[in-house]
Amino acid sequence: MSDFFHAHSSVIVSMVFAAVLGLSLYLPLMAGQLSLASPGFYALGGYVAAVFSTKIFNVASGAHFPIPYLLIEMIVAAVLCGALAIIVGIPALRLRGIYLALATVAFVEILRVVSLNLKITGGAVGIFKIPQPFRSTLQYLWIALPLLILAMAFVYRLEKSRIGRAFTAIREDELAADAMGIAPTYHKVLAFTMGAILAGIVGTVSAHFLNTWNTRQGDFNASITVLAIVLIGGSRTFLGPVLGGLVLTALPEILRSVADIGGLPHWLAQFLKDGRLIIFGLLLVLCTVFFPQGIITPEFLGRVRRLFSRRPRATTADEARAAP
Amino acid sequence: MAHFIQSLLNGLSIGSVYAIFALGYTLVFSILGIINFAHGAIFTIGAYFTYVLTGAAFGFNGVLANRSLPFGLTLVIAMIVGSLLAGFLSVIIERLAFRPLRRRGADRLLSLVSSLGVAIVAVNLIQYLVGAEIYTYKGKITGNLPSAVNFGSENTPIPIRTVQIVIFGVSCLILVLLTFMINYTKIGKALRAVSEDATTASLLGINTDRLIMFTFFLSGFLGGMAGTLVGSSVSIAGPYFGIAFGLKGLAVIVLGGLGDIPGAVVGGLVLGLAEAFVPSDYSAYKDAVAFGLLFVVLLLRPQGILGRVQVQKV
Amino acid sequence: MKRLAIPFLVILALVLAACGSSSSTATPAPAVTKAPAATTAASAASGSAPVALSGQPIPIGLAIATTSNVALLGEEEKNGGLLAEKFFNDRGGVNGRPIKVILQDTAGDEQGAINAFQSLISAKVVGIVGPTLSQQAFAADPTANSAKVPVIGPSNTAKGIPQIGEYVTRVSAPIAVVAPNAIKQALKINPNIKKVAVFYAQNDAFSVSETDTFQTTAKSLNLEVTTVQKFQTTDTDFQTQVTNALATKPDLAIVSGLAADGGNLVKQLRELGFKGIIIGGNGLNTANIFPVCKAQCDGLLVAQAYSPALKSDINDGFKKVYTDQFKKDPPQFAAQTFTGIQVFVEALKSLDNKTKIANMSIEDLRVALNKEVTAGKYDTPLGKISFDKDRELVQNDFYVAQIKMNPDGATGTFVFLS
Repeated sequence: MSDFFHAHSSVIVSMVFAAVLGLSLYLPLMAGQLSLASPGFYALGGYVAAVFSTKIFNVASGAHFPIPYLLIEMIVAAVLCGALAIIVGIPALRLRGIYLALATVAFVEILRVVSLNLKITGGAVGIFKIPQPFRSTLQYLWIALPLLILAMAFVYRLEKSRIGRAFTAIREDELAADAMGIAPTYHKVLAFTMGAILAGIVGTVSAHFLNTWNTRQGDFNASITVLAIVLIGGSRTFLGPVLGGLVLTALPEILRSVADIGGLPHWLAQFLKDGRLIIFGLLLVLCTVFFPQGIITPEFLGRVRRLFSRRPRATTADEARAAP
Repeated sequence: MAHFIQSLLNGLSIGSVYAIFALGYTLVFSILGIINFAHGAIFTIGAYFTYVLTGAAFGFNGVLANRSLPFGLTLVIAMIVGSLLAGFLSVIIERLAFRPLRRRGADRLLSLVSSLGVAIVAVNLIQYLVGAEIYTYKGKITGNLPSAVNFGSENTPIPIRTVQIVIFGVSCLILVLLTFMINYTKIGKALRAVSEDATTASLLGINTDRLIMFTFFLSGFLGGMAGTLVGSSVSIAGPYFGIAFGLKGLAVIVLGGLGDIPGAVVGGLVLGLAEAFVPSDYSAYKDAVAFGLLFVVLLLRPQGILGRVQVQKV
Repeated sequence: MKRLAIPFLVILALVLAACGSSSSTATPAPAVTKAPAATTAASAASGSAPVALSGQPIPIGLAIATTSNVALLGEEEKNGGLLAEKFFNDRGGVNGRPIKVILQDTAGDEQGAINAFQSLISAKVVGIVGPTLSQQAFAADPTANSAKVPVIGPSNTAKGIPQIGEYVTRVSAPIAVVAPNAIKQALKINPNIKKVAVFYAQNDAFSVSETDTFQTTAKSLNLEVTTVQKFQTTDTDFQTQVTNALATKPDLAIVSGLAADGGNLVKQLRELGFKGIIIGGNGLNTANIFPVCKAQCDGLLVAQAYSPALKSDINDGFKKVYTDQFKKDPPQFAAQTFTGIQVFVEALKSLDNKTKIANMSIEDLRVALNKEVTAGKYDTPLGKISFDKDRELVQNDFYVAQIKMNPDGATGTFVFLS
């Protein structure tokens, strides 16, 4: 079992990153704002980590990168991303629906071109030899999992809070919310900024995890991938993007491993290997067609809850104890 | 002055490629209000269809390595047949990836994801079948014309590639035909009715499904045609050929106003001109200019350059 | 709907059937992409239990981009790597034991490269040839380095690759040597060259470093660089860059890019009336540019790290198996990947002669192999190569070739210039 985890450690860690990134897009969506800016802030966060860890902090080569430094990077990235989000968000969030989505795509693309041309970001090659805080890839879970759990807890609490209810009100009907005294601009920018901060923080960890950072990390494709994560997982509850991130990241790798299982006819194994992305695309289409609300919907969660509450009390308690 | 004219012509030349790509893109948006990411794939596939139909053989990679049709059409015929095939393919894509979503009344955004899925399938299927090699058509659509036309004098030449002039001409021709069709034919009026209000249109006896099918056919046909034209200018640079235009195409249809057909052509030309007039010292920031422009236009005139202001209904 | 779909499907079926039926006439040779023996062996063995190194084939990893938008490069590498497996197994493998090349697709991104590397490492390969891009190497090579698995980069030319760690080296030279030769060659053809226009792909790591060398050399030869035009490898239209450059009336154009963009740039330079000499960087050293610029490729000077014209036993052998299967001269990336596998095979041989590798654990074998790799000298299709004390490649032979297109305008050859 531990062999399995080590052999697939990079996939497992990147699944968790994708889940957090999904949440970063879910946050503005809570207030009904479709922003595809997450990869831009993700890239910015990564550059903060890359620049700080290779140029500002002096870490002897071979030595481990101290965790407190990593936390400092996360804070810097959060502040920078937050500030940039407010600057971009105030004008951009006047747009609605697909127009906002396209404006954020433009924002991501502008960031990409700028970082391709700046000296400090290393141009096309990017920044490499980013020091490692951990000895093995799997240990990144020490930071990735708490990040995911904290983010989930945060979103969960937020949904129950006054602000969260204001977000929902704006999502359901912005004009009505405005009439009821909920300031739409303030709340929309707030949701957008929270998403940006989260994406920036994932970026910092991701830069260490990937050893290198360049302009290819936050591009249009990434924007669309994160959108797919949220919409396939389900955009009405925060569990959706989390599941979407985990599943969509694992899928191509699962297809890769399936090809290696013995006993398959030669042509099938070959097709699974060479054609795994064809299958991935097909599954994407099928998922949207058969789960138009995403895989996890509030109704689905309701059904699960009812399923549990109908059972005798003892079982529920047992399961509660068995859960980690 | 020569520099100004050169930049102007360059801009129109690049812009016409953007415009021709964006026409089919914006047509689907005008009827369904969705962005069809598979359009870039249709564009690519159209170019490959034409290539096959000329009877040329594939390269050395992929399942169909070295295979070719037993017959070959001349380039112009192959281009028309290839575009028709792309149109039919587009109809099938609509049937498989868009209509089920529409039937279920799903969020329009979801069609972004399902069309993205289609694009992923298409790109990788091409790669699986014929590899990533570069393909060039045997003939030239410009025939025996010289490869460039000089708009300047002998001493200060202002050259423009002939094939770009052809593309510009075809874009304008398509625009005229489309405008005519939409404004003066029965099917065009039905299209406008559906794009205004699909439910009312279907109550009035317009067969919405068939009309949407027709729209996708037209969009696919235009996409395939555009793919072939651009392919004959710059070769088919592999399965990602059309995807590379997808992002710029988005910028174009927003500049022109989403779903606005003349707007797509204007948007393409504006984007081309904006890029051409970037001083060469700052050429590295060319793409940033395009998207900066997009950002600004979105903030100032979200209805597009030509669009009229829409009243927000409560 | 049905009315439309059925004719379409019929047409499609006819097209496919026609493709199928004509194949017997169109393909005289079994030119399928995957070297058939190679893939069967790989897939048959990959199902079995982890390879205990005794009599069974020795697994060597090949992690390259066979999907994504860099697949054009990856396909060449795949062809070179899989040919190498058959080639060396036909010549007795590693002292009688066959090798097995295990291919994993990295796609074009960094995460994909890490995943492919991890997958190969857990498949117990003795070493890895890959990945395709330098940016991917910066991400994935540290993984192999900390797992103590030797890596040979087939096409990673950025600065700092061997410095990633003591298990990382490469068979792709940073191009510093060849650029001056190409410019001198151009001056030999036309001594009156004064003004130079430079073009490069700013999003391609290799082109960025190559253009630096070109520009420095041009200046040191007292040439005036009149303009430096940037583009992206995804661009196809260079009208603006070309006309901007032509306005400065250059006598020489230098292009650093990859096949599709570089080929288009050369074509558009010619179409828009440029008459002077064009030098193409190492990224244009592939027959893939022939279909793009066709007759207009003619006369292009290309800086090469591999020349099919090199006369040596190993290159003749490699060239023969390659042209038998693919009907054209091997491209540089195929040769470099072939060389990567060759270096592993020969290092394994000489290691086996010292200590029987069958008796070693996989971990010890990897460590010993890594030492052996950088200690050896190899006679490869790239010429004689070795590695210096910083594990950087020492390659003696670089070439400048001139493209000579055949009258049909679709095929051509790289003519080796002294």
